[in-house]
Amino acid sequence: MSSHAGTIDHHHDPSTSTGIPNKKLLMWTFLASDCMFFGALISTHLIYRLHPMPDAPSPKNIFSIELTSFSTFILLMSSLMMALAVTAIQKGNLKSMRWSILTTIFFGSIFLGCQVYEFQEFIEVKKMTITNSMLGTTFFTLTGTHGTHVAIGVLWLILMYVRSFQPPEAGRNTAWFIRHGVHIAVIIGAILLAIFSTLALVHTLHTGENLGAFFGGHFAMLAGLLACIAAGIFLARPNGPVNFGEANAIDVESMGLYWHFVDIVWIVIFTAVYLLEYL
Amino acid sequence: MSAPAHHAPAADDHGHDESKFQIYVQIAMLLAVITGVEIVGIYLPFAKWIIVTCLVVLSVVKFMYVIFYFMHLRWDKPFCTIMFFIGLVLASGTTWALLQLFMADASLPLPV
Repeated sequence: MSSHAGTIDHHHDPSTSTGIPNKKLLMWTFLASDCMFFGALISTHLIYRLHPMPDAPSPKNIFSIELTSFSTFILLMSSLMMALAVTAIQKGNLKSMRWSILTTIFFGSIFLGCQVYEFQEFIEVKKMTITNSMLGTTFFTLTGTHGTHVAIGVLWLILMYVRSFQPPEAGRNTAWFIRHGVHIAVIIGAILLAIFSTLALVHTLHTGENLGAFFGGHFAMLAGLLACIAAGIFLARPNGPVNFGEANAIDVESMGLYWHFVDIVWIVIFTAVYLLEYL
Repeated sequence: MSAPAHHAPAADDHGHDESKFQIYVQIAMLLAVITGVEIVGIYLPFAKWIIVTCLVVLSVVKFMYVIFYFMHLRWDKPFCTIMFFIGLVLASGTTWALLQLFMADASLPLPV
């Protein structure tokens, strides 16, 4: 990393021939290639929508514009929190960066939960699967690939959040690896349990069942969720100096570039795949 | 697009960060409003081509705001912008070419 009189210039690195930090250049190159990947998937979907097969299902009767609009809003807000996390670490404000990353993880998890719910509805209620229609094949391939990118982004955010607790000289500290391995597992567990609990609650409300039956039937899941949240708070308490600061801003920024890219891909998918079907 | 990366004094850095925070929040609100306009737009009784054009323009505006502000291209070296736009232009060109190919009469499926 470049350093001038104790401060870091986050947009210029004189140690590289391009003046751009290598990690940032790597990420922009990857994102350029990912553009072509998503371009191919979006093209395929649009081509088959312009030439639908006989007896193709109508997307208008399958899609839920309310749910997708909500997902879009959530992803936009997650992008805001990611940008604030990058700004925070560039100022050396570790606490603010952690809160911003946690909020981004929260929004990303909501998006994933919405996508799981949407896929479940399409398969079980609307009877559209990845194999029974061309619309299903291109739709699930495209949105599923995007969802996988979001899931990878959430995992990366979790790893970066836990990395921000790394103590100095962690290389010789076995206890740190165990502690932070548990920390990562606890956060992933909390996200999965929160998503499945919420989906179960929505299903209960849809079917008009008693809420008491929901709490009784999902007691273990809810108790596990509370235990994961409590363990996450316990593991996140301040525990001495950490080996993470302004010098790591480029790592957070690279992660942020990936997260924003996932957002811009969704901006295109939202218009090309969903909104245009309603005209 | 990109501003030269000068090293500013600490007080200016603070002011710059404050303004960046405000810029990010304002852009996020603008993006949310544009999304709302897009959703309302599909129900408006205008010609289809007008609505499609508006949706494409609004999506491009959202896309550009995210890459130039949230992804810092506005403040980074132009090489990052060039690098990303190479991929973007190739992807857009491929999409356009495929759509043109498959819209040609010769590509329509033969009647069974």
